Amino acid sequence: MSRPTPATRRSAKSEYIETDTGNKISRRSIIEGKQNIMLGGKSVVMAGAMLRGDLVRKPEKMADGEKEGPVTAIHVGRASIISTNCTIRPPHRISRGRMVFYPMRIGDNVFIGPGTYVSSAVISSNVHIGTNCVLSAFSVIRDNCKILPNTVVPSHMTIPPGSVVGGRPARITGEVGEGWGQGGGGEGEEYVEGGDLRALVRSIR
Amino acid sequence: MAAAPPYALYVCPCSSLSSTTLAVHAKRASAAPADAQADEDSTFNSHDPRANYALYPLDHLLFCNECDCIRCPRCYTEEILNWYCPSCMFEVPSSQVKNDGNRCARNCYDCPICTSALTVAALPRPSETHLNPNETEQGRYILQCGYCEWSSLDQTIEFSKPTKITEQLAKKRKEQRRRKPEDKAVSTAHGADQVDGYENLMAFYKEQLAESGDASNTYSSSPYSSPANLAKIMSLYGGLSVNALKKAREKPQPMREARTDKEGLQVHSLDSSAVDEETVRRLQAVDWQDTPTHEQRFSGPLNHQAIQTNELWPVATPLRIRKGKRCSVCRQFLSRPEPKIPNLRYKIRLLASNYVPRLLLRPLNASSTTPNPAFRLRPNEAEMSPLQPNIMQQYLLTVRNPIFETVKITLATSSSTPGKVSSRVTILCPSFTVGPAGDVWDEALSSSTTSVATDDGGRQAAMASLTGKSTDEADRQPEAGKIWTRSRNSTSIILEVVPGALKPPPSIVPKSDDEMLAEELTEDKDVLEIPIFVRAQWDAVEDTDASASAGRKHERRAAEGEKVRKELAYWCVIGVGHIADG
Repeated sequence: MSRPTPATRRSAKSEYIETDTGNKISRRSIIEGKQNIMLGGKSVVMAGAMLRGDLVRKPEKMADGEKEGPVTAIHVGRASIISTNCTIRPPHRISRGRMVFYPMRIGDNVFIGPGTYVSSAVISSNVHIGTNCVLSAFSVIRDNCKILPNTVVPSHMTIPPGSVVGGRPARITGEVGEGWGQGGGGEGEEYVEGGDLRALVRSIR
Repeated sequence: MAAAPPYALYVCPCSSLSSTTLAVHAKRASAAPADAQADEDSTFNSHDPRANYALYPLDHLLFCNECDCIRCPRCYTEEILNWYCPSCMFEVPSSQVKNDGNRCARNCYDCPICTSALTVAALPRPSETHLNPNETEQGRYILQCGYCEWSSLDQTIEFSKPTKITEQLAKKRKEQRRRKPEDKAVSTAHGADQVDGYENLMAFYKEQLAESGDASNTYSSSPYSSPANLAKIMSLYGGLSVNALKKAREKPQPMREARTDKEGLQVHSLDSSAVDEETVRRLQAVDWQDTPTHEQRFSGPLNHQAIQTNELWPVATPLRIRKGKRCSVCRQFLSRPEPKIPNLRYKIRLLASNYVPRLLLRPLNASSTTPNPAFRLRPNEAEMSPLQPNIMQQYLLTVRNPIFETVKITLATSSSTPGKVSSRVTILCPSFTVGPAGDVWDEALSSSTTSVATDDGGRQAAMASLTGKSTDEADRQPEAGKIWTRSRNSTSIILEVVPGALKPPPSIVPKSDDEMLAEELTEDKDVLEIPIFVRAQWDAVEDTDASASAGRKHERRAAEGEKVRKELAYWCVIGVGHIADG
């Protein structure tokens, strides 16, 4: 686990700051509450992406002398890509008259297309999300799903594994093939939808 | 075609549109010998209206390793493994599906207006008791849609507790029906009572069945439960025949039919003018946008007769299924997911991508590898520029070998593409070999790459690929009969394409209307697609018994060695891009 904070190679003024675990964070991304954001390693946050790590559940009561430890607001797995102009915002709801934020979990090898708003509770691994989607609060996206561009996933919707989802509101339009995520690694076609995205991460610089 | 170019779609040989592989030939020789022969000579036309039903992306295709055949949705059979609710992810046993229908019986409901999932929400307490909640006071809950702001308050339904929604809803519905007797006449005539009537009938007939005494089912606990089994055994051991036995037993009370309204009998009256008038009167009071659409009315049986949108009832979430797929020839499982619902893993999965050489096209002199259009990272990333007609383009066609043997590939295509816009295509090196796939470590530990690359003129290419960018990379010219690059398990060759013009050159002779009509381009006809026939041959070491018993014609056993020559042939359609207009 690493935090996206300290720039290890400040000297080289490149677009991306690379952390010790290989995360690439664009200098032009907007990251709030970075102590509450966990990136699993080899993940990318591109320019213009906004991560709202400051939206966390405030502890109910503070015992005397107890220091407030960092709470995870956004957890991103390995080799996941948050493309340009995405907004990642932990979901919230009003509980007992208080606004309560819930942590968000994004799995491994998840691709989030540009301009997408994400407020899901859980996005499992090997999920491909198209451009300009809206994933409303507390939606749950299971593994190996494909979300077509311009989809609006309503709040509290659960998407079962291996579904293709599209429309406004989102409906399950089909199933991914058995070979979803398979077949990458070859020359010229290093990465496929739902597959291992490490090659794509490597190519971003 | 949904995919953005460049793409590669594969034709399953089961379709009669494409020429069949030899393996299928052998099997289907009796079925359509003449047809198959005719197909063998013709080119696959990707713009044929029927072609869409034969073209699949490689990840949707399976491969039967018993039959050595590609299997597509048309030539595998599916069977239901289990049912589950997509919303709560609970598995529903098949007995429950049979009894209660294919809908979730838990708390999962869909919005009748927009089909998105409903959530149970607590209504806020009235302000005077807000800060002083009474312990005895029951909470008030509603079903709410998170997308279109529909809530069960539209139907004036409130729940007293957030669980057991199904039971509470059923109770509410009964109450509502009792409350509005004036609606009853209308709805009965229109069959809105069908659901209730059906329930009554079910209850009645179940009772009748129980009363009539399981005469036929006396042996249900024994292995002689089926009548056929019983008859067989009775005839074997002589004595009384089954029929005689049946007669001998006391005759049960015959089942009677439903007689009353309570038992589910509904009398249909032919004279419905009064009801019709009532319906028309109600419809007059409704705006057009307040009448439900067909989709909304067919969302559930309770909504079939709704006249206004506010009569729509929440829809129990329909169940989904998980399917296993079997080869329709040899009945073996091609794909079988694990029974655990929340994640998708496979016990058996025979993917075509692990058996079929994969084709990949990209422009030769592009500065970088063309990005997969699904992975657009920036909104302003340039789309592929359209192809200019009549200007020769060179493409790199990479064939990747997924199997562990060296494969000899022969490519064939017609010199001009089929369809309205005919482009000229030349494969500079139609016949070549592709090295075996294997562990990356194999390559690193043994210097197998050089031995593979010693074939026709591949050494230089191999050296170039090993040393990275060679010095003469820039001014290298494509040559006929030479492969371009070669790596461990893939070989790249050059493809020359001259896109055809969308419009024919202007002619002096005026055209008839029919000709004009024929020239009009329909959707997707401006996409340049190249059908390529791929034939892969390799020597496989195979169990001799198995191959002998299988008796496949295309396998010639080479001498006494256990090497068997195998062959796979299929059409592959490669989408290059859109042709520019003008």
